[in-house]
Amino acid sequence: MAMSDTMTASAERAPANRVSAGGAPTERTTAKPRFSSDLPQVWIGIFLIAVTGFGPSLVGNSYWVHTFQLVNIYIAASVFQNFLFVDAGQKSFGQGVLLGLGAYVTAIFFGLHGYPFMLAAAIGMGAAVAGGLLFAFPALRVQYFHLGFVTLSAAIVFPQLLMSLDRWTNGINGISVSMPELHHEWFLGLSPLTIIIAVWPMIALWIHYAIRRSKLGRDMRVAAISPEAARSLGIKPGVMRFIAFIIAAIGTGVCGVLYLPAVSFVSPQGFNVELSFVFFFAVVVGGRGQMLGPIIGIWIVFILPNIALAQLVEYRLLIYGLLTLAAVMLFPDGIVGSIERWRVKRGVTGRGEQAFRVDRFLDTLEGGKDSQPSQEIVVEVRGGTKKFGEVVAVDNVDLKVRKGEVHGLIGANGSGKTSLLNVLSGLSRLNAGSFAIKGRNATRMAADRIADLGIGRTFQTPRIFREFSLWDNLRIGIDARTGVGSADIGKLADALEAEFAEDSAELLSHGQRRLVEVMRAVLKEAEIIFFDEPAAGLSQSERANFARLVKFLSRRMGKTIILVEHDLDLVWDIADTITVMEQGRVVASGSPEQMAKDPAVQHMFVGGRRA
Amino acid sequence: MLAEIAIIVVRGCAIGSIFALIAMSFNIVHGATGILNFAQGNMFVLGGFAAVFLANEVGVAWWILMLLVAGVLVAVIVTLQGWITLAPLRSSVEQDSWLISTVAVSTIIAAALMIWQGPFAYTVQGVVPSFRVFGVRTPGAYALAIGAMVFWYFALRIFLRRTFLGLAISALSQDFDAARAAGLPVRRLQLVAFAISGLMVGTAGYLVAPVISVASDAGLRYVLNGFVAAVVGGIGSNLGTLIGGPLVGIVGMLTAYRIGGAYQDLASLLLLVAILMLRPQGLFGRTSARRV
Amino acid sequence: MLEVKNLHAGYGIVPVITDVSLEAKPGEILLVGGENGAGKSTLMRAIAGFNKPTAGQVLLDGKPLQGMAPEAISQTGLRLVLDGHRVFPELSVYDNLRMGAAARRGDRAGFAAAVEEIYSVFPILKEKYKKYARDLSGGQQQMLALGQAFIAQPKVLLCDEPSMGLAQALLPQILAFLRKWATTGTAVVIVEQHLKVTAPYADRAMIIERGKVKFTCAASELEARLEQEEAAHAGAPA
Repeated sequence: MAMSDTMTASAERAPANRVSAGGAPTERTTAKPRFSSDLPQVWIGIFLIAVTGFGPSLVGNSYWVHTFQLVNIYIAASVFQNFLFVDAGQKSFGQGVLLGLGAYVTAIFFGLHGYPFMLAAAIGMGAAVAGGLLFAFPALRVQYFHLGFVTLSAAIVFPQLLMSLDRWTNGINGISVSMPELHHEWFLGLSPLTIIIAVWPMIALWIHYAIRRSKLGRDMRVAAISPEAARSLGIKPGVMRFIAFIIAAIGTGVCGVLYLPAVSFVSPQGFNVELSFVFFFAVVVGGRGQMLGPIIGIWIVFILPNIALAQLVEYRLLIYGLLTLAAVMLFPDGIVGSIERWRVKRGVTGRGEQAFRVDRFLDTLEGGKDSQPSQEIVVEVRGGTKKFGEVVAVDNVDLKVRKGEVHGLIGANGSGKTSLLNVLSGLSRLNAGSFAIKGRNATRMAADRIADLGIGRTFQTPRIFREFSLWDNLRIGIDARTGVGSADIGKLADALEAEFAEDSAELLSHGQRRLVEVMRAVLKEAEIIFFDEPAAGLSQSERANFARLVKFLSRRMGKTIILVEHDLDLVWDIADTITVMEQGRVVASGSPEQMAKDPAVQHMFVGGRRA
Repeated sequence: MLAEIAIIVVRGCAIGSIFALIAMSFNIVHGATGILNFAQGNMFVLGGFAAVFLANEVGVAWWILMLLVAGVLVAVIVTLQGWITLAPLRSSVEQDSWLISTVAVSTIIAAALMIWQGPFAYTVQGVVPSFRVFGVRTPGAYALAIGAMVFWYFALRIFLRRTFLGLAISALSQDFDAARAAGLPVRRLQLVAFAISGLMVGTAGYLVAPVISVASDAGLRYVLNGFVAAVVGGIGSNLGTLIGGPLVGIVGMLTAYRIGGAYQDLASLLLLVAILMLRPQGLFGRTSARRV
Repeated sequence: MLEVKNLHAGYGIVPVITDVSLEAKPGEILLVGGENGAGKSTLMRAIAGFNKPTAGQVLLDGKPLQGMAPEAISQTGLRLVLDGHRVFPELSVYDNLRMGAAARRGDRAGFAAAVEEIYSVFPILKEKYKKYARDLSGGQQQMLALGQAFIAQPKVLLCDEPSMGLAQALLPQILAFLRKWATTGTAVVIVEQHLKVTAPYADRAMIIERGKVKFTCAASELEARLEQEEAAHAGAPA
C-alpha cells in the first residue's frame, strides 16, 4: 500500500505542475475566468450591430443606411449558418436558397399579386421552410459531404428555376416592390425598416446563444461530434440534424422576407451560388462557432470586396475564395476563433490531478435503504453471436444479469467483452441470437431506444467534449434522463455545477475522463449501467473511490451494473456475479467465490493478474 | 418516337459517361484520402479550356499530343491542389477543413476563369467525325466519352489490383494506420491519387469539349452530376459508376426532352435526394453513407 | 539497437506516458506489461511516430527518430505491428505480404525468400494466399500481420498485443516465431497481457503503471517480482 501511494503521489505531481501556470492549482479562492466567452461575444455583437444598424441613420448617410441594412441581413443569415455548421455539424452550401425563397416568394405574392405584405411574407416563410425540408429530409438518413452536395445542388438549381419558371417569377426581369411606409423616418432619422433590420440579427444572435445553452443545443452538439455517444444518451442524430435544418430555414427565411423591402427588387442573379458561398465563407473566415464570427466574417468577406475595394468588384468571388483558403490554411479557427483560442490558452484551465474527483460529492448522497440483488432478470442474452467478417467477436453467448447486481465481465483483451457491450447498448447488431432488456426484446432496437429503456454506458475511449465546460460534459447525462430526477442526484448535480461550471474538460487525464463518463451515467439515473474499463488509468485512491461509488449505486440506489474491467482486485471486491469470456465465448460464470476456484479462471491470477 | 428514344439513350449514356468519369475520379481520391474534391468539376472544365486553346481545328497528331498535354497540365494543378488540401490535415485535428478548402479552390478557379475569359461559353471543333446511330447523327465526341469511361474503368481496375502502386493506394483506403506502419509513403500515394484523378478529368474535359459548353461557371454542374453518379453507384465503387453515370445522363436527357433543358440539374438534385432517402449506400456501395 | 530516453507522450495536450526509458538489443526480446490504460500502446505508438513525443528521444542505432512520420520511421527499419490483427481486408493474403516490401523496395530475391519462410512457418497463409484477408480468422490475420512485418526485415520489431482477440492456444506458436525471428539479430519488443505465457520467450521484462516504468527485470524473474508486488499490495481476492 505504501508503495502504491508514493507512486500515485509522484504521478500526481507532474501534470499538476504543467497547469499550475493557469491559476490556483488546488484552492479556488479567486473567481475562475469564464470557460465560455459566448455571452460577452453576444453583447459585443449586439453593440456592433447597433452601431452599424442605427449609426448611419443618426448621422443621416443614406448610402451607409442602405449598405448596412443588407450587411445586417447577411449577418443574420450567417448566424444561422454558423449555428447549423458548428452546433449541428452540418455543412450547408445552400443557405442562400432559403433566403432567396423567402424573398422571392414574398415578392411574387406581394409585388405581382398584390397580397398584403404580412400574408405574402407568411407564404414566403412557408416556402423557405419547404426549402429547408429538402435539406432536412436527407439529413435524417445521411450526413457529412452528402448533405454538402444536396445543398450545393440546390444553390445551383435555384437561380435556374427562377429564370425558367418565368411565368411566375417574371424571369430575368425580376420583381420590383415599393414599400414607402417602411422607409418613412420615424424619429432621429430611423425608419421602421432600419429598426427591424438592425434588431433581427441581434435576435438571431440571441436565438443562437439560447439554443446553445439549452438541452436541445447540447444534444445537437453531442450528436454532431459523437453520434455513438449521442445514441447511447437516447439522442437521435438524424432528428437533431432535421431540427437544425428547420430552425436555420426559419431564421434564414426571415432574412429573405426582410431582404425584399431593404433592396426593393429581386432578380435571379441576386440569388446564385455566390450568395450561399458568402454566408459559408463568412462563418469560416470569422471563426466557426464563435458568436462574433458571422459579424466579423461578413464585414471582411462582403464589405471588403464590395465596398472598400469597389473598383475590384469583378474580383470579389476570387477574393472570397482566396480569403477562405487562406483562413483554412493559416487560421483554421478563423479570426475570432484565433483570438478566443489565445484567451483560452492563458485563461481557462483544468486543475491537474485534482481537476475532477468524486469522493467529496459522494458524501452528499444519501440513497435509499439497503437493497440486494433480486432474482428478476433484467438483461438476458440468448445465443448471441456477433461477427466481423470471418472474425467471431461474440460467439453464441448466453448471459443473465439480475436486477440490482454488479455483474463483472472479465477476460483477455479482444475476448469480446466490449463487442458484447456494444451489442447490448444497440451500437451494433447481433448476427444471430437475441437479447432482452427488462423483459423487452431489444435485439433489433436502435441505440437511442435502448438508452431510453434506462441504460447508461461509458466508453473505453471516453467521449469528452472539449467544446463544453466540465459541468456541461456532466450535464448531458441529466439531459438524457427520461424520468423525474431523484432529490439525491439533484443535490449532487448542484454541487457539481457549483464546482465545475467554468472548468475546461480538455486537460483531464484519461482516468479522469473515464470518471466524468461514469458520473454522466450516474446523472442520467439509468437503471442499468454498463461500465467499459472504468478503472483503467485511475490511481489506487481513485479506484477505491470508484469502488465506493459502484457499491453506492448498487446497494443504496438499486442500480444494475455490468462492469467490464481488468483490475481483478476491483472486480472481486465489488461484483456479485462474474462472467469470464474467452475468444468470444462465455467460459465460466458464477459468484466471486466460485470463480476464484474455477480452473478456467485460475490462470488469470498468477502473473497475469495485474495485467 | 424511336429516334427520340435513341437520342435520349445514346446522348444520355454519352453525357453520363462523363459523369461516370468524374465519379471514378472522386472514388480514387476519396479512397486514398477520405476527401471528395468539390473542385473536380472545375478541373474537368479546365480540360475543356485546354481543348479550346490548344486544339481547336487541328490535325489528329497534334490533337493527340495536346490530349496528353491537357491531361498532364490538369493533373499537375490537381496535385498542387491536393498538396494544399492535405497540408492543414497533417497538423490539425479538424478534419472538415478539406470540405472548405476544396470549395474555396472551386470558387477560385471559377472566378479566375471568369476574369480571364469572361462569362462566355466556348465551342470547339472536334477531330472525330460524327456518325449515325439508329439514323441519328451523333457527334464523335460522344463515342470518345463512352470509350474514355470504359478505358478508365479497366485501367483503374488493373492499376488498383495488379500494380504495387495501385495496391498501396487501395491499402491506404482500407487501413490508414496499418499502411503507415508498413512504411507506405502515404502522403506521396495520396498525391498520386490526386494526380490520377486530375489526369482522368483533364483528358475527359479535353475529349468532350466539342459537345459541352466550356464556360467558367460550368464546373459546379459537372461536380454535382458526377457526385450524383457516384452516390447512385455507391461511393467507392467504380463498377457502380458505370451504371450511375449513364443513369444520371439519361434522366437528364429525358428531362431536357420532355420538360426542358433548364430542369436537368433539378432532375439530378431530385434523383440525389431520392437515392439518399431510399438507398444511401448506392447500388454497389460497400460502406453505407449512413454514418450513424 | 533501439534506445528510448525519457520519453513523454500523450494525446492532444493530455500526457499519457511520462519519462519512459527502455532499450532493445539485437537478438533480444523485451516484454512490456502493465494494465490496460497504463500507456503501453501509447508508448509503442509514440516510438513508431504515430504520436509525437512531447519530450525525450527515440534512437535507432544512435540516430534520432522522434518527430519523424511513422512511414518514414518504418523505412528506417523500425516496424510496429499494431494491435487487433490489422491487415488490409480487401487485399489478398499475398498482396498483403507484398505491402510489407514497402520498407525494402527493390530486393526481389530477398522478398521471395522471406515469403517462402513465412509460408513455411504459417502454412495456412500459403494455402489461402489468394483469399481476401477479410476472410481469414483473427488468428490467421495476426499471422499475416506479422508476416507482413517479417517481409520488411526490420532491425527493430514492436509488437502490440499479438494475442488480442486470438485463441490462447495460438499464442505460443506466435511467440515461438518471434523468438526465432529475434535470434536472427532483430530487436523485438512485445506488449502483452498474458505475462505468464509470454515471459518464457522473452529475455527482459518491463512493467508500466500509469504511464511510468514501474520496474524492469529479467524475464525469468518476472513472476517472482509480480508476486512480490502483489503481496505488498493489500487485498487478495475472496
